[in-house]
Amino acid sequence: SEPMITTQTVNWQTQGSPSDHLMLGHNVSTLDPMSQEFKQATKDSVSNVTFVEYEVLLPGFSGASVEKNITLDSATRIELSCRLDNKYSHLKSLQVIWKRGNEIIRHINKTENSWSIQLRILDNSNLGSYSCTLKGEEEISAMFHLQVPTIEGKEKPIVSYEGDTAVMICKSFGYTPIAWTWYMTNGSEQIAINDSLLADKYAINKVSANVTHLKILKLTKEDDGVYWCEAAFELGKSKGKLMLKVLSFMVPLKPFLAIVAEAVILVTIVFLYELYSKKKEKHAEDEKEFDQVEQLKSEESNGLENSSTRHRKI
Amino acid sequence: PGPPDGGWGWVVVFGAFISIGFAYAFPKGLAIFFKEIQDFFGTSYSEIAWVSSIMLATTYGAGPISSILVNRYGSRPVVMFGGLLCGVGMVSAAFCTSILQLYICVGFVTGFGLALNLQPSVIIIGKYFLKRRPIANGLAMAGSPVMLCTLAPLNQFLFDNFGWRGSFLILGAILLNCCVAGALFRPIGAATASGKTQAIEEGQATLKEEVTKDAMEMSSPMNVPTETKTEEEEGKDCCEKINQYLDFSLFKHRGFLIYLIGNVLMFLGFFAPIVFLAPYAKHIGIDEYSAAFLLSILAIVDMIARPTTGIIANSKWVRPRIQYFFSFSIAFNGTCHLLCPLASGYTGLVVYSVFFGLAFGMVCAMLFETLMDLVGAARFTSAVGLVTIAECCTILLGPPIGGTLIDTFGDYKYMFIKCGAVMVLAGTFLFIMNYYNYRMLAKEEKERKAKEEDPKSVRTENEVRNNWNKETTQDGPELEPLREEQEGLKKEANGT
Repeated sequence: SEPMITTQTVNWQTQGSPSDHLMLGHNVSTLDPMSQEFKQATKDSVSNVTFVEYEVLLPGFSGASVEKNITLDSATRIELSCRLDNKYSHLKSLQVIWKRGNEIIRHINKTENSWSIQLRILDNSNLGSYSCTLKGEEEISAMFHLQVPTIEGKEKPIVSYEGDTAVMICKSFGYTPIAWTWYMTNGSEQIAINDSLLADKYAINKVSANVTHLKILKLTKEDDGVYWCEAAFELGKSKGKLMLKVLSFMVPLKPFLAIVAEAVILVTIVFLYELYSKKKEKHAEDEKEFDQVEQLKSEESNGLENSSTRHRKI
Repeated sequence: PGPPDGGWGWVVVFGAFISIGFAYAFPKGLAIFFKEIQDFFGTSYSEIAWVSSIMLATTYGAGPISSILVNRYGSRPVVMFGGLLCGVGMVSAAFCTSILQLYICVGFVTGFGLALNLQPSVIIIGKYFLKRRPIANGLAMAGSPVMLCTLAPLNQFLFDNFGWRGSFLILGAILLNCCVAGALFRPIGAATASGKTQAIEEGQATLKEEVTKDAMEMSSPMNVPTETKTEEEEGKDCCEKINQYLDFSLFKHRGFLIYLIGNVLMFLGFFAPIVFLAPYAKHIGIDEYSAAFLLSILAIVDMIARPTTGIIANSKWVRPRIQYFFSFSIAFNGTCHLLCPLASGYTGLVVYSVFFGLAFGMVCAMLFETLMDLVGAARFTSAVGLVTIAECCTILLGPPIGGTLIDTFGDYKYMFIKCGAVMVLAGTFLFIMNYYNYRMLAKEEKERKAKEEDPKSVRTENEVRNNWNKETTQDGPELEPLREEQEGLKKEANGT
């Protein structure tokens, strides 16, 4: 089976002004038949080798150093280049050093304004931070951080209850891991979860290539704590953190009963007030009727007086 | 004597505020739990969204049942039972072990409970208020945005501390407060009014044999029946029995039909923009928190707009022409949506949210007020039930149609254009038809007055029944029917 070649050209705009941005053309290169090195990196018979180019445009001697994060999940041939802006091309005596930590990298390819190195990233030991430093009157540098993909866990704890089931999900964005492993924390130790051994307690499902589920059945207080999902890539491992909180059912029951009691009390108050005000109304009505009767009586007597006065007046 | 227009009425408004608030805001507030429940049961997003849809469909679809129960038992017992049902629904949802059980507990049971909350609350406002009714309606409807602003952070807090099961348990208890709101709904006038109407109906039954023919001639909008007398009697008894519970004769009511058609059309474009506002904002590059803030702006403007609209609608210039004001606000709403695609960037969307909140509040505040204005407080109970079940379909269709437009064209602007166009159309339709309705009512009022002044007309029971018929078939501007009813009752009392 022929190895597949994929090429990827990625460019970055630095923190300089947008006018400094340059687009590189697409670059296809042939594979170097170093088959022994690639054999150890792959499990399957088909080997996929990627060639990637990353370029950083240096903003100039005035700015701070530039940093770039590059995520790699499988064996890659990578070319990192630092390009200097055209306005500095007049500077002659420029020295460029590529370093990884303290180790200096020798084979630098130089074109008109850019300096690049080619690396073979085959396993975890090749990852790290690579820097290019331009020495002229002043120094300017850029850093490339080569890392495995990060896995996101959950910042907030998952709340569940005793006797219930908890489902914890880990996702890898964009990159497919080779394997997933789940760990639970016991004190300061991390213990791998073996779902075949404890099949009635744990179940690990691979929902899709990038997603893994851990189902914990019949929760108890001991299951409370921190869990880790670890994704294994060709070039290393990456972890995500999840927290599980196991509560007893008494915990929500207290506010529940408090609010139910409040509702019952309020309803009772409303009805009692209504009864009271109805009684008051009835009393007031009775009094009113009584007053009216009294008034009628007095009016009658007054009326007689009035008519007699009128009579007298006339 | 007429409705009190104050006093205990304001307490009732507060109770309705709580009740309506829960009914509208609760389904929206549940969305916070959906992600977690989806992960827990391992279902897709659309299966979870069904919970919301079933809840909304039940709340609107159970309208007629709510109306029938209120007609029979009055508002208070129905709301208290509704609150209890909501509580039971959510508490049982806390113990669910499958998504189907969630559909039933949260969707059907709680949805039905909310339906029993919504309709009676709106109905009882009509019973307590007449002169200040638009203000009362505006205040009560303001419950929806206020509750939403309260429920959203509360739900988040509950979820962070208790998980979804504990949250549902506590939410069940919180919903029991609807019972408290219901306890405040002291029965008023309703009992006496229904007693009087029943007396009139009994009187009607005895007079029927003598005056059917004459009555048919005089009450013009009713169709002239060609059946025999006995058949008419039997048919009428059966119809009247049903009409006692749910007034289907409303479908012959001109104003009611106008309102129904206009509103059903409007709801096609009413809710979709709210559903898609945040996704649209994210689509044009705004971050999640700012997008959520747009909805908060909308809710805050909505909160202020509703009582303000109530006050404006109550003023003596607007109240007689409240239908025009309503049509205007719908058209205004539509215009906002049509102009939304022109908004660029975050500031443009903020302006859109402000105007949308204003328009949304205006429409919602007058939604039930205009219906009360058209059909009168007595028939409003049945009217609201019939209207909500008709709106149910378009409400459910609105967002999915919008979603399909977005998916097909990959652009949000067609959804906004569709919603805007539909609402402008609905507003224009209502405006024109209400103009026609006002003219017809004025004409009929003139005819009625002319007949009354006719010296030849004797005050027979015939005429009494005639007046009563006219009232039931064409209720005009609000203050008239009440006066007519009172007059009719007085005549009735004098006659018998």
